[in-house]
Amino acid sequence: MIQFLQSTLDGLLIGGVLIVLSLGMSLAFGVMRIVDFAVGEWLMLGAFAALLLTGGLHWEPLLVTPIVFVLFFGLGYFFQPLLERVSGGKRAHANLMGLVLTFGLSQIIRGGALMGFGRDNHSLKTGLSDLTYFLGPLIVPGAKLVTFIAGFALTLAFLYLLYRTSVGLRIRMVAQDKTSATLLGVETGRINNLVYGLHVGLTAVAGVFIGMLFTFNPEVGARYALYTFFVVVLGGMGYLPGVIVAALGLGLVQSYVTAYLDPRYISLAAFAILYLVLVISPRGLLRRGLE
Amino acid sequence: MSRPALGRLLGGAALLLLLILPNLLPVFWMRIATETLMWAVLAVSWNLVGGYTGYLNFGHAAFFGVGAYATALFTVKAGVPFGVSLLLGGGVGGILALLLGLPTLRIRGAYFAIATWAFAEAMGQIATIWEGLTGGSEGLRMPALADNRPFYYLMLGLLLLTLLGLHLLVRRSKYAYWLVAVREQEDVAKAMGIDVFRAKLMVFVLSGIIAALAGGIYAYWITIITPKEVFKVLITDNSVVMSLFGGLGTFWGPVLGAAVVHLSARFLWLSYGSDVVYIVAIGVAVCLVALFIPNGLLGLLERRRKGSAFAPQEPEASR
Repeated sequence: MIQFLQSTLDGLLIGGVLIVLSLGMSLAFGVMRIVDFAVGEWLMLGAFAALLLTGGLHWEPLLVTPIVFVLFFGLGYFFQPLLERVSGGKRAHANLMGLVLTFGLSQIIRGGALMGFGRDNHSLKTGLSDLTYFLGPLIVPGAKLVTFIAGFALTLAFLYLLYRTSVGLRIRMVAQDKTSATLLGVETGRINNLVYGLHVGLTAVAGVFIGMLFTFNPEVGARYALYTFFVVVLGGMGYLPGVIVAALGLGLVQSYVTAYLDPRYISLAAFAILYLVLVISPRGLLRRGLE
Repeated sequence: MSRPALGRLLGGAALLLLLILPNLLPVFWMRIATETLMWAVLAVSWNLVGGYTGYLNFGHAAFFGVGAYATALFTVKAGVPFGVSLLLGGGVGGILALLLGLPTLRIRGAYFAIATWAFAEAMGQIATIWEGLTGGSEGLRMPALADNRPFYYLMLGLLLLTLLGLHLLVRRSKYAYWLVAVREQEDVAKAMGIDVFRAKLMVFVLSGIIAALAGGIYAYWITIITPKEVFKVLITDNSVVMSLFGGLGTFWGPVLGAAVVHLSARFLWLSYGSDVVYIVAIGVAVCLVALFIPNGLLGLLERRRKGSAFAPQEPEASR
């Protein structure tokens, strides 16, 4: 029983980080209808950026997250027009080229990181890993607790931006109907830049959280891309509340499989569930995603 | 001399050269030539689905890997002669494609891409975990053959057979129009009475059989097969990149793409001694193609001449 409660708690704590990882991607799909194949590489790059920053500044990794966010927001903001160029408008294979371009980008980032950092594992040193709390008989590692709280706060801030500000209103207008939004005076191009910037920024920050909890190297992108796709698809692509449910669900699946089966089955379970959901209900478990 | 006659002459000369190539090249370059032929087969078979119907299969490695394992298992565990087990391996690939295609070809766009990717990764995981059958990450060992030339001719034969099949399919039958109709406007195609699903499933199964045959030949050639090797993402990635590079939905594009991409990859590897440079170079190349020549190298050439019927047309408006 205690083992069950402990793995439930662990799963939920990791789930908090997975939410941050997937929110941006789901929003980007909702607004731009683009699936970002480079999502895992943005995450990996975020972790490495934090590694360089903490190494230079001797700060706690959590304190450099604002810098990482701003940096990657900028990268995404200025990369998006290229994405718009290949996927928007009257071009051959418009629907395929978004996938293709982000795939090419992921190769550049992965190869570049391999050149710069080699294949070794790294981790972000944090004083938080010395802290441990107890909740009755349950163990709560400090680093996991703090990243969960930070992730939760970030999610709330993100939802506030989206549902309670005028920028958020415009983002939702574009997501709902691009043409009408344009007719009503929304600058669709700017909103797209902003959304992709937010996505890249959030994903990179999730990378910092991941780097505080686990080791990472330039090739971890694929694994986290799987997690992101899993969460975004199960939640229903473009449907944000679904992301929260699915991320916590994935955290639990991961933690139960590790506790009761064999960690080797995690990827198999995730891939199998992802595939089955796509076949049975491509719009997500709650059937609220976009076509 | 008229254009078709010139083309035939050049084609004949190229074929002759390919047939006598093993007598001209040293062993090392034979290996690279065989690899290039294999990539051409994989790219053409990927393009059959991705280029002609617009369904991006991001799990092409599943067919290759299953073909390799099936062929190896029939040879090693059941003692079937290689030629027969190769055909059986191709059959297993076809059945897998049928089973995968039946549910998966009903979903569209990005969802299809993600679903096939997840499926292929799951297959790789199963091959790793199911140690009793596959030997796990240690892999399976095939009897080795001292002479490498048969594999060159096998790959060449498979490529020619594939191209012949493609020629009959897209240049001599109504299916070509069906497939392009599916790619350009699937709903309209359906409304006009085209059995869209049958057309998609047919090419998907064909593509699976071809990739599985390539996997089977590869297994016997390389003699030690591991899940990491035959299910690796690079197989899918290269098939996509080569098709794209040469020209999606064109007849010769993927062959051209395979030759250009693989030979430059080997060149980079020889000059820098690592595959890391290659990863970056391929990423840059893919981005440039997506940004500037979405119809690939052949698209660039075709534009100067008359537009080919099946080269992707600029759509009237995006959906």
